[in-house]
Amino acid sequence: MSALGHYLEEEGLATVAISLIRPQTENTKPPRALWVPFELGRPFGPPSAAAFQKRVVLAALRMLERGNGPVAIEDFADDDPRATQDPAWRPPLTPMTVAAGPADALAARLEAEVGQLRGAHERWEAQHRRTTVGLSGLPIGDCARYVADWLRGKTPPSPREGFSAPLILRFAVDDVKAYYLEAAAAGAAKPSSRQLGDWFWNESATGAAIHVLREVLQGSDDDRLKLIVANFMVPATRVRSAG
Amino acid sequence: MTRLTDLPPAQAKRLAELECPDFTTRPWVTGSALSQRRVAIVSSAGLVVRGEDPFRGRDADYRVIPSTTRPEELLISHISINFDRTGFQEDWNVVFPLDRLQELAAEGAIGSVAQTHYSFMGATDPVQMEPHAREVAGLLKGDQVDAVILPPV
Repeated sequence: MSALGHYLEEEGLATVAISLIRPQTENTKPPRALWVPFELGRPFGPPSAAAFQKRVVLAALRMLERGNGPVAIEDFADDDPRATQDPAWRPPLTPMTVAAGPADALAARLEAEVGQLRGAHERWEAQHRRTTVGLSGLPIGDCARYVADWLRGKTPPSPREGFSAPLILRFAVDDVKAYYLEAAAAGAAKPSSRQLGDWFWNESATGAAIHVLREVLQGSDDDRLKLIVANFMVPATRVRSAG
Repeated sequence: MTRLTDLPPAQAKRLAELECPDFTTRPWVTGSALSQRRVAIVSSAGLVVRGEDPFRGRDADYRVIPSTTRPEELLISHISINFDRTGFQEDWNVVFPLDRLQELAAEGAIGSVAQTHYSFMGATDPVQMEPHAREVAGLLKGDQVDAVILPPV
């Protein structure tokens, strides 16, 4: 963020920002920024590509040695080679045959499907020695149950002090999504983020369940809950049109 | 994948035209050669070490990420869901290039890597973030840092 660069530089620290949105950077004018042509979420480019990432880091840091400011924006020329689809990738589950259905049925499908992915997720963890599941603080089975219970019309209390129930719902949805996307990427194939997202949102029962949950809870009287489900559960590019 | 051009037009416009305080100064700090610099990461990805509190909405404070943090300990709690997380899931260096900095230090391309790194949540109001950013500046200087890379997400 450009303001961070401004504050730190005012305090005497030389900074260089990575920019993923060039018009925003031109508007906010950080001291120095390297614009990169990668998708949002990948400021240093492709995963598992140390040499490429290092070129990005060095291109940014080298700007600290040049006296062409204040306000210098440079462009990184090379695009992310992992942005293309991998035809060898296969999804970990058979596509669901019903894209929507009664909320109770979808809730049950969600919980069952999470269980079906356990083997694939264990392979992911063995392969990468990490998982990014964990924001809610709940084990994945409890995450699935928490999300499913909201879908069943219950309002389960927050299990975590200092965090509201709607916020835990958001984190539980984040955890379930992370679990699916990690499980789906286990193995030798290198699917693009679009391949993984297409599968999750269009072919999994849980993707369908989260769409329905978002639509149902927007009818709530709780403004905070409505705000969270409307904006922070389904990506803007995946929101279904009403009706 | 999601690039600015993939987003619904209204949202893309909001991101591109994001408001920033109208700063009256244009600070520009110079320094020694890169091979002599001590480098820190200050991310705006809403990063949090597992077990600590994730960012709640638009919290304006920051989280501390020691250089000893392991990849399995780092999570993203950024409020936005409109960016790819699968790259970070596979390799934390996509967002938090600590391994790359350690390699550059070992190669002599940079002087050293900071003992501690930091993360904010980038969708926060910059005005509310300012006192916390200035506090982080003091902590960085206490660690003899003289170069900061600022990755978004």
